[in-house]
Amino acid sequence: MNNIEMIRMQINYLVTQARHDIYTLSTLSDTSMKPQILQRLWDALSTIHFLSDWLANQAKTSSHNLSSQPSIPGLSGALYQSQIPPITPLPTPPISQSNQRTFTIGELATFTGKNGRPAYVAVNGIVYDVTNNRAWAAATHFGLIAGKDYTQEFASCHAGQQSILAALPVVGRLV
Amino acid sequence: MPPESLTNEAIAERLTSTALKSLKKGTIKKKNLIYLELNGCSGNIISLLNGQNPDFEYTLNSMVDLKFCNSLMAAEGERAIEKLIKAMDEEYILAVEGAVALKNNGLYNIIGNWQGKPLTGLQAAQMLGEKASHIFAVGACATHGGVSAAKPNPSQSVGLQQVLPNKKMIKLPGCPVHPDWFLGTLAHLLLYGEPETDNLDRPLMFYSTLIHDRCPRRPFFDRGIFAEKLGEKTCLFKLGCRGPVTRVDCPTRQWNGHVNWPIGDNTPCIGCAQFGFPDAMAPFISYDTTRVVKNE
Repeated sequence: MNNIEMIRMQINYLVTQARHDIYTLSTLSDTSMKPQILQRLWDALSTIHFLSDWLANQAKTSSHNLSSQPSIPGLSGALYQSQIPPITPLPTPPISQSNQRTFTIGELATFTGKNGRPAYVAVNGIVYDVTNNRAWAAATHFGLIAGKDYTQEFASCHAGQQSILAALPVVGRLV
Repeated sequence: MPPESLTNEAIAERLTSTALKSLKKGTIKKKNLIYLELNGCSGNIISLLNGQNPDFEYTLNSMVDLKFCNSLMAAEGERAIEKLIKAMDEEYILAVEGAVALKNNGLYNIIGNWQGKPLTGLQAAQMLGEKASHIFAVGACATHGGVSAAKPNPSQSVGLQQVLPNKKMIKLPGCPVHPDWFLGTLAHLLLYGEPETDNLDRPLMFYSTLIHDRCPRRPFFDRGIFAEKLGEKTCLFKLGCRGPVTRVDCPTRQWNGHVNWPIGDNTPCIGCAQFGFPDAMAPFISYDTTRVVKNE
């Protein structure tokens, strides 16, 4: 089965699910379920949108290259499962102990997230990767730029919120 | 099908139409409103004028009695200020747009003359704020200083709360505020009292979800597919999109009569409804994060 056919199957599945969700919403007496169903509907629509854009791109490029179709990231595994898993953000890469390198403040300053480089910041002596962190768009966060030690700033803004740091991939230590 | 529309605009529409009906039936009473424009660009009143049919001025006048509004009232000069002072004799709701300029005791922002003396925005904000039954801080400048307080802030502008530290107020950030956010909150106040707010005094019914969580381009973010330049239809995160930190309902509400919104038009969210805008949201666009520059 080629990629396009699988995408079509996925879209059909999502449309069926969306129809069912709309029917469920129309007959719902227990309103506590409503937000979840609406969320699933939203996700289904977003994915249909994503897939249709992808198909349109394929149609555009297929005239140039009919033989090879690149696989679509993050979807191929899901197509064979009976249940479509919800969309979840990309998992943070596992922290390998061998990757625990040390940084001087000068070295850290080169990881600004500019020109394709990763974006790192340090808090309490630990260097974290914020390249794909959603609060660090364009490697900046509320006026702060990546590549610096933000121990003070973190304490003044997110004191006690260790969960923020726990969710970030660690890349090393600041020496 | 669900009996009533569940869209975001339907919520504000339902609130305003219910308020208008209740006023007609006499179940709720009209209140007076003073709409004060201080140090800013008048962008919020312009945005409000861009509201739906029936037009904003009609909606506003039929929901409340608009006693003073720098831009909309017919009176001018000292006669306008006279109306403002007179309006203080009765109970009123105060809505303020624009920041409060502190420099030279407020002389950087004069809203009119009263008894031969200049009336500063600072005086007006404090005088009217102390007596108001409810206060709305409308738009980025009023809620936290906004563009008026951007560096280097020559007028020493601050948000309204700073000159009325002990007064409770409803904050509606945004540059400008969406007509629905203001009219919806006003209608809620008339119908049911103050709406539920978050810890930053923003009404939850409009400011509870992140733009990122309702973004139609979210699947691209989740799969790590980022636009490298404006115009591309994928996630604008690497160009500096502030949707992931901005809490408001733009993706589903949309602007200009619910027609479109920034990301729908291929530009990143600049976080205008976030506290700290614009300085803390800069850079608005960045072209050197994903693109690899040669010889560097």
